[in-house]
Amino acid sequence: MSGVRTFISHYWGVLGILLLWQAWVSISGLNAIVLPSPLSVVADLVANPAIYAGNAGKTFLVAVLGLAFGLLAGVLLSLAAWTSRLLNGLLTPLGLIFSSIPVVALIPILARLLGYDMRTEIAIVAVAAFFPTFVFVGAGLKSRPPGSDDLFNVLGATPWQRLLRLVMPAAVPNMMVALRLTAPEAVLAAILAELLMGTSGLGFMFREAAGRFAMERAFGTSIIATITAVIVFGLFMAAERRVDALWK
Amino acid sequence: MTETAIHLDRVGKSFALDNGKQLTALSEIDLRIGKGEFVALLGPSGCGKSTVLRLAAALETPSAGRVTIDGKEPQALSRAHRLGVAFQDHALLPWLDIFANVALPFQVAGRKVDDARVKELIGLVGLAGFEKARPRQLSGGMRQRASIARALALQPDVLLLDEPFGALDAVTRRHMNLELQRIWSAQRITTLLVTHSVDEALFLADRVIVMSGRPGRIIRDISIPFERPRHPSVMRDKRFHELVDELTLALEPEGAAP
Amino acid sequence: MTLQSEAVHRLVLGAVGVGLFLAIWQVIGTYRLAGMTWPPLTDVLAFIADPSKQGLFVRAMLASFASVALGYVVGILSGVAAAMLGQVLPIMRPGLDRLVAVIHAVPLVALAPVFMVLANRDLTPPAISALGVFYMIYVATTSGLKAASHTHRDLFTALGSSPTSRFLRLELPAALPALVSGMKLAIPVAFIGTIVGEWFGASRGLGLLMVSAMQNFQIPLLWSAVLIVTTASLALFGLMSLFERLVYGRFQ
Repeated sequence: MSGVRTFISHYWGVLGILLLWQAWVSISGLNAIVLPSPLSVVADLVANPAIYAGNAGKTFLVAVLGLAFGLLAGVLLSLAAWTSRLLNGLLTPLGLIFSSIPVVALIPILARLLGYDMRTEIAIVAVAAFFPTFVFVGAGLKSRPPGSDDLFNVLGATPWQRLLRLVMPAAVPNMMVALRLTAPEAVLAAILAELLMGTSGLGFMFREAAGRFAMERAFGTSIIATITAVIVFGLFMAAERRVDALWK
Repeated sequence: MTETAIHLDRVGKSFALDNGKQLTALSEIDLRIGKGEFVALLGPSGCGKSTVLRLAAALETPSAGRVTIDGKEPQALSRAHRLGVAFQDHALLPWLDIFANVALPFQVAGRKVDDARVKELIGLVGLAGFEKARPRQLSGGMRQRASIARALALQPDVLLLDEPFGALDAVTRRHMNLELQRIWSAQRITTLLVTHSVDEALFLADRVIVMSGRPGRIIRDISIPFERPRHPSVMRDKRFHELVDELTLALEPEGAAP
Repeated sequence: MTLQSEAVHRLVLGAVGVGLFLAIWQVIGTYRLAGMTWPPLTDVLAFIADPSKQGLFVRAMLASFASVALGYVVGILSGVAAAMLGQVLPIMRPGLDRLVAVIHAVPLVALAPVFMVLANRDLTPPAISALGVFYMIYVATTSGLKAASHTHRDLFTALGSSPTSRFLRLELPAALPALVSGMKLAIPVAFIGTIVGEWFGASRGLGLLMVSAMQNFQIPLLWSAVLIVTTASLALFGLMSLFERLVYGRFQ
């Protein structure tokens, strides 16, 4: 009894949406060709595991590789900006501007510039991850524990020692925050790049399914895309927790 | 003795800790504060003196015993908007100006704001001319004045002051003590002041209660003999110094006493 | 004095940085350093300013901006309403949190098929915008409603405040800074939602223009559409930043 109550108190929102969905379908009289039944979606998932898994794996790879490259570039550039006040002044506002534009709008331009292939998809994800990383890590490099600068001065540390032993470790938690925040966007960017360029992956499945009105395939892809996004997000959230436990 | 206003009758308070254990903050506290009396509660940090005030302010309920104000539960007084409180953190609302902050108790009580009363209080605490200022534009001492004016807005039955000057520097604090005495003398409301400053307690109170911690209990109850109104020169009085020494000794941790 | 000159210094450097970026864009385009698909900035601006293209851009802008505005407003209203519901009726809270978490877990693009089926294609862009904005605003408002300090809450308890009075006079004003920050961050989200929705097959809009220009090698048109979208989003983001500063000054 109390189990039912807990379930309802936690899931009434989700259940309500499902009911609303059902009501909408019943009232507007959509037929089964347009709206697949949950059963036929599951049937498609079960019947074609290789197609789903292959494409999801590819999207996952694009997202993770893109995140890694974007992170690397963001860290390197923010370190470069840290070494020079001039560079920092020139780049920080640009970084802020680019991290607050709707970055998916750049996908068509990048696709045209770099050509339709997987490297372009990775580059697109990397660009989406790059700007927030640059901004966050840049802020992290500037926010060191109070008094630590004085300590390193008193100890007579060289700039290189200061960078290696103080500045970079201090910026690591911020870097993990940037990763966690950009992870969902990275998956979205990967899927959208695949969708627009139509090469392979979950985005390609969306496009192909929508093109031939295979709605059970489109819905199945939605489910797999959500699972992929949750896995990527969960991966980086766990990594952030691990780092925080070590650092703070 | 006069009629009792605040009465703690064998009050105990314990809190459940995260590790499942119980922390006894207060045990067997017996305290009567008379009508119109100014009582200072003195003690080291963590001795439970703030808990006593929070019990009277309807912010906590006792685990044992009973707390009453004029024979009623503090919650009943709070519902009737008869409590005046000021905290160490001035707790002014940053989005309201000083006038609106002092008028807040009227609005919370759902009453029409008595503009004349609010103006008078702002004058009483020495903030006339700052009605339109925002809290952030004022100094720490001025914010505390405003928070005391707010505490007095509805002519409360009791005034509960939790370290109101704890965040101020020593000079401002002494000045605020003088001001509080002046303000209090004009109203003579039953007042409970929680402080860790011996000077402050002696200068302001009719009675000083000393508490000791773990669990919090009362170890001293001293009547202060000085005439009112008290002039700052009282702090140079020989009797004042003796009392300071006595109370300071009482506050020493047990092991450290000679 | 030094603080002010520091700020001026930063502003000048920032402006130089943006200027350099635009100059590099121009040089790469002029000398075709990145191939034929990178036009000089001046070509893109001339293309946007071309009177014969005006009709095309205005139609697309009207469609997209209307969708962004509709999604933004609906998202904010529903996000604030849901957060307030959770505050006023705490029993609703776990269910709301779970629902919002589910909405957030689904990539926006994965919702497109659902909307394509349920609504008509032209409603897909604003619907996706609204969902993205809803998430941002719900999270911002719920965390904002927790922003009032313990002492402020104690004060209202001791003053004998009713729950309504506490909500209206304390919790709501204290939540405003977080809400406005959420509204600022929701601006690019609203644009992303609309663009993604349009890619899934709307009949009009800048997102559609981008895709068709990309597929048909209409390079100046492609860059123009992207420039318009990003500039509009940035301008609104900048406006909201100013508003945010105003609200923080007043309410914090």
